Amino acid sequence: MRRRLIDILFASVVIGALLAAWELGVAYGYLKVYQFPPASRIAKGFVDLTTVGFPTGITVWSHTATTIGRILQGYAGALVLAIPLGFVIGSSRVLDKMTAPLIVFGRSIATLSLLPLAIVWFGTGELTKIVLIGYGCFWVMLSNVIAGVKYVDPVLLKAGRAYGASGIELARTVVLPAALPRIFAGARMALGVGFMVIVGAEMIGTVEGLGALIMEARTFYRSEITIVGMLIIGVLGFAISTGLMWLERALVPWGDPLAGVRR
Amino acid sequence: MRSSAQSNMGAAPRLAADQATAAQPAAPAIEIDRVTKTFADRAGSGITVLDDISLAIAQNAFVSLVGRSGCGKTTLLNILAGLEAPTSGAVRIAGRPVKGPGQGQGVVFQQHALFPWLTALENVKFGCRKRPISRAEKEDVARDLLALVGLQDAAAKYPREMSGGMQQRVAIARALALDPDILLMDEPFGALDELTRIELQDELLRIWQVRRKTVVFVTHSISEALVLSDRIVLLAPHPGRIARDVTVDPPRPRVRSDPRFATLYDEIWRGLSQ
Repeated sequence: MRRRLIDILFASVVIGALLAAWELGVAYGYLKVYQFPPASRIAKGFVDLTTVGFPTGITVWSHTATTIGRILQGYAGALVLAIPLGFVIGSSRVLDKMTAPLIVFGRSIATLSLLPLAIVWFGTGELTKIVLIGYGCFWVMLSNVIAGVKYVDPVLLKAGRAYGASGIELARTVVLPAALPRIFAGARMALGVGFMVIVGAEMIGTVEGLGALIMEARTFYRSEITIVGMLIIGVLGFAISTGLMWLERALVPWGDPLAGVRR
Repeated sequence: MRSSAQSNMGAAPRLAADQATAAQPAAPAIEIDRVTKTFADRAGSGITVLDDISLAIAQNAFVSLVGRSGCGKTTLLNILAGLEAPTSGAVRIAGRPVKGPGQGQGVVFQQHALFPWLTALENVKFGCRKRPISRAEKEDVARDLLALVGLQDAAAKYPREMSGGMQQRVAIARALALDPDILLMDEPFGALDELTRIELQDELLRIWQVRRKTVVFVTHSISEALVLSDRIVLLAPHPGRIARDVTVDPPRPRVRSDPRFATLYDEIWRGLSQ
């Protein structure tokens, strides 16, 4: 306990010293404010964002709400498509072999490289942003669902059949729960992708959203605001990922991600 | 014995049937009739895993299948379980041809094969899901069976929270939950340490005394087969066929150090070394 306190104390001293050096570096002109805004500046930026907003009138809360809304829509769309599709592909050897190259191909296309085409297809409105986020999440989710279903321990399938389950019933009572840990892992990874794509997806045709905030601040050399945007994305991603982990523990209480999977 | 009963039947069916029930214990629980199993290999030619196996197993008998790896003992067990179909030949359980699982075969696998997402109790209940009894009765059956294998206090535990021996006990309870006529066991204690293994062998014998079942037990341990079985069928590999059929007659309850086992052990070892 005491040891731990000392460790924490040392760590805080190092971080504190670093922040102070940074602050002084800017004050004495060694660092430029618009390149390396110090902590005090970032804190002020955050206060500005909560009161006046940036651009004026749009507070940090509405930026955040907009971004969460877009990510959740794209993410939900990806899950709704990927889970049943992955289940079907994963259950069939033939389908799996047929679609495997296509999936590697689709997954390899960097989501943001689709932005120009997405604008041509869907315009510069909300739909483009949601589709881009959805596209990024979809492939990660799909490959994980397929793997989860495909690599169910054959002994468990045998046991399920020996006790009278077959067809849809076998899928529901054995394949689904066996694949669930992997499906959850995929869902967490896909959400991470959603957060990675957001800045790019919000680059065009909007001033609202954390991604837009980050890009817009750059045009005005308000680097502290860019950093606030980055920090909020980080905190959000962390919070949602932790929430998913809790949900996973509640729904999949039997434990580790490889339970029920052939090793 | 069987063939003479059949020829009698031809002459005077009524009388012969009466005689059969009086003189013989019952019709065989399992009849394996000229079963052959061939798998296609990569080259397209077939590998014969089981070659013309015929075997009749009496009601309530404890029969072990012993043989080296590759003699097809697991395949034979899968065929009895209805999980695989023979290439030719047939298997009958209580006179009915086996067309799939769920004809009264309870199976215990090599690895416990419990569902990791179900508790011990739920795993056992999975065994009786197809039985025409109410939900409450299933719960009772499962609890009784957990008590029978000595795990009444572990009902809420998940498989990963149990030791190997406990897991295999739950697997046995799950197989019994089906209320099977026959119990098929594929090296069920193979992965356990020696002491747990002996403990579970005794446990299995105790259960077998309480709930009379026909047991087919696959193992590669001669001493395990000797302690447990009424009869040991030796299988020879490439292709899998019956090498010898040994009756194990020392009376029960048996003592592991019974000198009669030593003679039988040698006989079986010679049978396997041919």
